[in-house]
Formats: sequence, structure tokens, C-alpha cells
Amino acid sequence: MSTDFYWRIGMEGDHASLRTPRRYNRGHAGGHGPGNIAPAIRGGRLDGYSYIDHMAAVVKASESAGFVGGLLPSFPVTEDPWATASALARESDTYRFMVAFQPGFLHPLQAARMSASLQRATGGRLVYNIISGGGGAPQLWWGDKVAHDDRYARTSEFLDVLRGVWDGRPFDYDGRFFKAEGAALPPLLTGQPFPEVYFSGSSGAAVDAAGRHSDYYLSWLEPFDDLRAKFDGVRARSEKSGRTPKFAVRIDIVARHTEEAAWAELEKGWASVDRAAADRAAQGDSVGAARIKGWVPEHITGYRDLEVQPNVWCGFSLIRGGPAFGLVGSYEQIAERLDQLIDLGVDAFILAGNPHLEEAYRVGEEVLPLLRRTTPTRVRTRSTR
Amino acid sequence: MTEFRWELPVRGDGRHIGSVSAHRNGFDFLDQVVLAAELSGLDGVVAPYDPEGEESWVVAGSALRQTRHLRVGVEFHPAFGTPVYAAKLSATLQRLSNGRLDWRLRVETDAADAAARGDRVSGADRYRRAAEFLTVARGVWNEEQVLPGRFGGTGFEFAGEYYDVVDGGFRGILSGLPFPIVHLAGNSREAIELSAGHGDVHVFDETADGADDAVASLRDAASRSGRTVRAGLALPVIARETEAEAWARVLRQWREVYPGAADAEVRALALDGSRWSGFGRIGYTRSIGLVGSYEQVAHALSDYRTRGIEIFELTGHPHIEELHRAGEHLLHLVDPAGRTLVGQENQA
Repeated sequence: MSTDFYWRIGMEGDHASLRTPRRYNRGHAGGHGPGNIAPAIRGGRLDGYSYIDHMAAVVKASESAGFVGGLLPSFPVTEDPWATASALARESDTYRFMVAFQPGFLHPLQAARMSASLQRATGGRLVYNIISGGGGAPQLWWGDKVAHDDRYARTSEFLDVLRGVWDGRPFDYDGRFFKAEGAALPPLLTGQPFPEVYFSGSSGAAVDAAGRHSDYYLSWLEPFDDLRAKFDGVRARSEKSGRTPKFAVRIDIVARHTEEAAWAELEKGWASVDRAAADRAAQGDSVGAARIKGWVPEHITGYRDLEVQPNVWCGFSLIRGGPAFGLVGSYEQIAERLDQLIDLGVDAFILAGNPHLEEAYRVGEEVLPLLRRTTPTRVRTRSTR
Repeated sequence: MTEFRWELPVRGDGRHIGSVSAHRNGFDFLDQVVLAAELSGLDGVVAPYDPEGEESWVVAGSALRQTRHLRVGVEFHPAFGTPVYAAKLSATLQRLSNGRLDWRLRVETDAADAAARGDRVSGADRYRRAAEFLTVARGVWNEEQVLPGRFGGTGFEFAGEYYDVVDGGFRGILSGLPFPIVHLAGNSREAIELSAGHGDVHVFDETADGADDAVASLRDAASRSGRTVRAGLALPVIARETEAEAWARVLRQWREVYPGAADAEVRALALDGSRWSGFGRIGYTRSIGLVGSYEQVAHALSDYRTRGIEIFELTGHPHIEELHRAGEHLLHLVDPAGRTLVGQENQA
């Protein structure tokens, strides 16, 4: 058995480590202080590199370390994944670009054309992470007034049209959100593989939409029993449409040679957490975000209180942007947890760690070889360098 | 400085009219064209919106990453998606390219293309929508650096006919970047008015009567709006060492389409100067362009320049060969100040 392991790219910038919460010193978000990388300061001025140059390095590291590709997340504060994938398409060999996007912002025919061109530019290495938006103020910031459940209806329509035009035969559609008459990809762009779909969303409306359209149902990490229940729910809802979904999990990892060393990595970062500010950051109508809040204990005496089951820690969102849950432990422990997740039904992983470049090598070299239930999918390289 | 840009062959290319060689399509080929434009000293390339070709944002993103100097124009239609998303895509492209992205907003498109997107907006409304699109995109854009504030905007509000934004506006890494230079095109009154209010460059097609009146009306309209809009001209070019060689090339191409055609028939399409109005019939999207020796074509371009054209959007195929020709033989004749080393001039 082989399993697809992806590695995330930090699209807002990156941290040198989790010891310095929210201090971005890779890319432009940290304000170009001393010790900044891409751009760095040389001879008293910025050296002309930009964060794309570091992202390119993370792409190469992920390829070398044995990952099939990476997730390029999308938020109002991050670089755009379509633009990043287009820029890096031609300087990567095997890396699959998992582009996160909200279907409301591009017309589906436009998305189909961009996707087919990206498939041609990469030799078929585009993967979708379809997100339907967290709602609240960010949604209006994007210029999107469509309400929560309607957003998933729109996502469904979007994917209907995207698939409908893909084979190049004229396609008509008369939906609530999208209409098309004789829409089709041109001959030049047809014949490309349709990108695999990783579908995110925790609500009933999301799961219904996912059942019809996804190859993988993608969830953030949760306590294992909750994750099992969530997957069962998706399976039950998907039966209606006759599809058997596969499951993927997005997991932050702090893995070290001993468990003590792994926890020590979080200790300093925890000490400077501003909890009030972190609470305010969780807004909107995202059901996934609300689920996470329910697990955080009200009175916390120390960071180990957030270890909700062995090696499963829900404090990540307090020390950097993004999901709350991740795995903390020794290389052996992390491998064991990943094996347990495979037993639980996980078919693919999106892993992440800060800093992304160095941690890609660490997890690729120290953790993945210890897996017993599976081997990571190996991609044949196009050329040897 | 006079700028020279080149339209990228997003459908592929070949040695013959209408042919696309197996060796000249897709991204291996486009990479070569982009490199040819960069090394030949062109100032920019344009990835056209072509429903039959490679998608322009993907082409532009890839081109920006592979070059240091070229400005890269992405042509797209307002119905491609939302203006906020166009701006968001562009912020990343501006960041990674050190501000070399241009927009070419395409307003006019054919009926089948509009129907495919379910786009019912027609007539003058298309220009109103384009104006809203640019207003919103510029509205959320902050050229000054704004500190990050998680998920908060910078107070841009818009409730229009086509778009709505509440507390929009870019912060953090999305701010502090130049807005793309906006190119618009079209010879109609609506097109010129749109540029006067919202564009930075207006690219005309050449007409038999010349571009003078159009350039003058652009100047008038822009000054009424209190703005400056640079005038550009799109021209196919066939330039060779001698005039005879250039015409021989035209005739060979013509006879690929019309075998046995007489010389006189082809020459009859010549206008004054080096202008020839037959390009549309040998595979080009524009009908009027320039034919002649390098000196003649350079002279014609210089003449346009004295009449107010600041940007030329050239094209010729096969693209890689013609780009090298333009860089080696043509551009420095039109723009010697910008394309010779000042130090060497002084020594000579």
C-alpha cells in the first residue's frame, strides 16, 4: 500500500521556529527586520529576493524529502495559490500543486482554462483544495455576500460546470449561480487529467456537496474518536450519491528525537501567547472552527493541558495562524499516530511544520521511514540532477 | 523612452501561415518565446485573452518568474471572476516580480465567448461594468504599506450595479505594492472614455486614416478627467535587411494562403509610408502593419512616436525568430537614446 503525503507551503511567510510566535522572518510579513530571509538585508539594503524564492526552495525540499506535493492555502492575508503555482510550475519536476480556492471568486470556465493550462505547464500536477469560505467579515472583504449553505450550493454548481466543460464538448448549464451556453475548453486545452479534488468543510451542507464532488474529504486533525465519527458521517451522507469518499487529514507536526525535546520546542512559544487576541481571531460561521473551540479547556494551567490525547495537542492556533490540532512527540510516536490514523481510514496526509523547509527534510527522513501501515507514494523524477 | 511590447503566441506557432508545429506549442515553447523577448531587449510581453489558447494568468505568472526585466501584461475579461480576486492574484504577481505586472482589461469579446460564460451584459453596459471592476480593484488595493490586522480590511466600501464589498482593502503582505499598469484598447468612443477615467495606457489598432485623430481624442478625454493616459499602437511587422527581402517574405506568406496570386494584388494593399493592410489575411489578428527594410520600418515607428505614440505592441511570426530580429536590427534605430551605451557614444 502506498499513501500520498503532501507538505504545506506557508503562504503568508514562515517562522524560523515555533519558539517565536507569529514572528515571520521569512518573506515580507515580518517587516524586513534583521535576520529576515527572502528578502535578506545585504550592504544595508534589501537584496532583491522575494518570498517566492523561498517558496521555490520549499518546493524543491518537499520533492527531495519524498513528498508528492504541497498544499498552497488561501486566506485574505496570504499570497495567492494560483499565482504561486503558475510562477513555480516550470521550475519543479514532480511537485503536485494543491491549490486552495473558493469557487465563488472565479468563473468556472475561467477556472477550467487556468487548470488545463496549469496541467499543461506541469505535466498534470495540479490538485484542488476546494474551500467554500469561513464566512463573516472575511467573506464580505472578498466581496462575497452569499450565505453559508448557499456557498456550498454554489460550490456544487461550480464543480458541475468545471467538469462539464472539461472534455471540450459544448456544455449548457442553467443554475442559480452560473449559466453557460455552449461552453467548452478549446481543443488545445483538452485531454488533460481532471485534477484530484480535496474537499474541505465540516457542515452538513459541505459534506453533501463533498459527497458529490470530492475524491478526498479533507479535514483538519481532531481527536481520533471525533475524526472517526466525522468520517462515518461523511460516509453515510455520501451513500446517497453512490460515491465512496477517501479521507485526508491536515496535520501540523512537531517531531524530535525524544518526546521531551518535542515538547521543549513548544515551551518558549507558549510562554508568549496572547490568549485574548487568539480568541478574537476565531470568528465567522465556520463549523470547523467552532468544533475546535469546544475542545479547548476553559482553565489552562500549562501547555500540556491542551494535549487532549497522547501526542495530540490543540494549541497550535495560539502560537501561529492556522488549525488548532497537531501532533507532538518523538519520531516513533508520530509515526505510530500516523499509522493509527491510517487504520482509522485516512487515505492521504497533508503535513506541515515550521520552518517548512527544514521540517520537510526532518519529517521525510526521520518519521516517514518508520511507518508500518504504508509507504509514501514515490514520484519518479523527470531528471537526475 | 519608447516602449516595445510583444504579444505572446498562446496558441502555438510555426514557420507557415496558420500552422502550429509540434515543436512550437505548449509551455516548453512559450518559455522560449519569453526568454527570446527578455534577451532581445523588449520592454514587455502581453499574454492575450484567447479562448482558444493557453490561459493568460498562468502564462503571465510563469513568464514573470522566468524573467528579470520584462513587464508582463495579462489580458482578461471582467467576467473572469471578481475584481477583488483579480487584485489578490495580482498582489502576489507584483510581489514576486518586483512590480512588473500590467493588466489589459478586455471589454469587447465575441457573442459565443460571452454566452459560454453566461454573460448577458451587453452594449454600453460592458463599459460601465469594466469601470466598476477597475474602481473596486483599485479601491481594495493599498500602494502604501498597511500593517496586518487579521481578517480586517481598510474600510473600502462599494455597493455597485455589479460588485459589492464591505470593509475591503489589502493589508500586510498584500499592501505596499504598485497597482498593475492598466492597458485598455479599442477605437470606439466608449473605449476611449473608459481609458480616460480608468486606464494608464490605451492601445489603438492602426486604421487606414492613421491614429492621429484617435490619439487626439484620447488626450482630450483624459485631460477632461484630469488624468494622463499614454497612447499605444498595435502593429504587425515584417522587416528585413532590404525592402525587397521584406516584400519577398510577404509574397511567400501570401501565396501560402492564395496560391498563384499576382504581385500587384499584394502590393495594392500598401498604404502610405511602410504601411500594408494585408496582415489580417495572412494569419494576424490586426490588418494594418509595417513592411520594409529595417531603416524604413524604424522610420515609420519614429514617425508615430513624434505623433504621440509612446508604446508599440509589435508582433511577427515565427515569434522567436522575429523577436531576435527586432532586438538586433530594429529597436535601437527607433530609440537610440534608450538602447545604446552612453559611455561608448561619448568615446566615439
